[in-house]
Amino acid sequence: MLNAVMEEAVQVEGLVKRFGPVTAVDGVSFAVKRGEVFGILGPNGAGKTTTLEIIEGLQKPDQGKVTVLGMDILSKPAQVKARIGVQLQSSAYHDYLTLKEILSLFGSFYPQRLAPGDLLEQVGLADRADSRVNQLSGGQKQRFTVAASLVNSPELVILDEPTTGLDPQARRNLWELVRSIHSRGVTVVLTTHYMEEAEALCDRLAIMDHGRLVAVDAPKKLISQLQATYTVKLVVASPLTDAQLALLNGDGEVVHLTEANSYLLRLRNTPKALGAMLDELARSDISLDHLEVTPVTLEDVFLELTGNELRD
Amino acid sequence: MLALTIANVKMLARNRQAAFWALFFPLLLVIVFGLIDVRGVGSGSLYVLDQAENEPSQRLQESLAAVELLELESGPYSEAEARRLVDEGDLDYLVIIPRDFAQAESDSPAAVTLQYQSRNEERNQLVDGLVRSRVADALDGLPQAPLSQLVISDVTQVSEGDYFDHVLMGLIGLGVMANSIISIAVRVSAYRNQAILKRLLVTPLPIWKYFFGEVTAHLAVAAVQVAIIMLVGVFVFGANIHGNVAWIFLIALLGSLVFLNIGFILSAWANSPAAASGMGNAIALPMMFFAGTFFSTASLPWVLPYAAQVLPLTPMLDALREVAIDSRQLWDVWPQLGVLGLWTLFTAVIAGRVFKFG
Repeated sequence: MLNAVMEEAVQVEGLVKRFGPVTAVDGVSFAVKRGEVFGILGPNGAGKTTTLEIIEGLQKPDQGKVTVLGMDILSKPAQVKARIGVQLQSSAYHDYLTLKEILSLFGSFYPQRLAPGDLLEQVGLADRADSRVNQLSGGQKQRFTVAASLVNSPELVILDEPTTGLDPQARRNLWELVRSIHSRGVTVVLTTHYMEEAEALCDRLAIMDHGRLVAVDAPKKLISQLQATYTVKLVVASPLTDAQLALLNGDGEVVHLTEANSYLLRLRNTPKALGAMLDELARSDISLDHLEVTPVTLEDVFLELTGNELRD
Repeated sequence: MLALTIANVKMLARNRQAAFWALFFPLLLVIVFGLIDVRGVGSGSLYVLDQAENEPSQRLQESLAAVELLELESGPYSEAEARRLVDEGDLDYLVIIPRDFAQAESDSPAAVTLQYQSRNEERNQLVDGLVRSRVADALDGLPQAPLSQLVISDVTQVSEGDYFDHVLMGLIGLGVMANSIISIAVRVSAYRNQAILKRLLVTPLPIWKYFFGEVTAHLAVAAVQVAIIMLVGVFVFGANIHGNVAWIFLIALLGSLVFLNIGFILSAWANSPAAASGMGNAIALPMMFFAGTFFSTASLPWVLPYAAQVLPLTPMLDALREVAIDSRQLWDVWPQLGVLGLWTLFTAVIAGRVFKFG
């Protein structure tokens, strides 16, 4: 029994959090295994940050139970905080201290700490040790906040939207950083609203929308659950009739997109169905503005599960 | 434990603009008050104790009442009462006209006594000369003794202390108050807006250590502020500090505690650092006037003089002046320290209740 508990870095059961009339987190349960990278994917306002803040001990849940590293967060907040590392969304650091000084200040809050020089080395900021935070670029700033979350050599690191607002290069640097943290056996929980990030980084993924979890699984499994293997986006000059769509689609599925005269076809049995569709298009007098064929991604999984496109 | 204090002192010192103005503002006032001539001769209060009650004594009393420099107190006081008033500094000059004043038959005419304190030397010289000449005038036509024997000057020696010394202590109070309130309110509200406070909450740092670090760093800054104001006041503008300098620091730091608590309270109400700064000024500036930093508040109308007595800056300034000018000891000013202590407790409780991290 004890073993089973200790295999889980985080155990969340029946979590509910209300802010006045709004239910931000509505009965969420999941478990994060030790040593994995666990992602929470969802649009803004889905309840990701609130869920993390309850795990971090910043907010008290209205209902439910959270166990972190085998300890109840409500009854042992200080012990939990000593062993986890947290990067908050949009948190700043002191303006008038150098990076090295901030890390040694934060290190002084913990019973065990890493040397600031080593931490900066890990995140590729060794040459900026004597700079101030406001002298860093966006990507460097974000890497620094990750370094600050590692100051106590934590067993679990929680990163809230670590790559939001970063350019593609900086985002990839941060992915490398997360992988290197993971490779040292540290459990990572992160939130994101980028599909490709969730797919690239996470061993397992929880998809969250309107305060509820709609699915929890490995990204590949989530994708393979969808029967479709290709999606085709069609933009045409004038609306298509249902009969026309049925001919194009075979036994697949049609989604009417919000843009005018735009359709998303989920084809089954591709590539045969794809060929049939293209033949049908050539035979008909449909005037085509745009055609896009893509393999199924998490985006489609999200669409399937929530009925919404993931808003950026 | 001290890591947070040291980091805070570093940050306060490196925020050069804020540090500069915190020190410069009261220093600017020291310079202003040091340059303008506030040491000019003001009028003094006078009580005439007429034991002779004859015609010449009446003449003398009337001629003294006509002197513009002197404001006649009505009394009546007994000799002992009047002498005590002078000793305690509540009456500037006491003239005692003896029973046998201007009695022609007495061999050696009894001299008039003029009692005053040694403080305010320029005015003393003027008044001494005036009283002698008026006594001579009053005795006109009567047998005269040498002028020097007509008046006995009875001078109570007290330490020097003029208006500038009085204002210098006011400026110490003002500087410590303004910096403590505004610096804390602005810093904490900025930290809350930037979620730095939230970031601290996800570490195991106990909350009281956070407050300890902020308070101790600001007390260190207040001590530096007091030292600079005193050094400039004394060595550049020749102020005199008679009491124990260590007591001055202790009183200033106790006062600073009250104002830091007020800063924490304001930070909870302010939505932005700019609002915090405005609120801080709105508290500090009226308090500066009502607590008698520059001018006595005794002449304020209505209940304001009593209201002034309950402001935290008032007992702080009283205690500072009693120690610095009248050489009192720390234990002599215990009522003022007691009031400051109560203010510290009261503001700490409020701050603890209203303070917000997020």
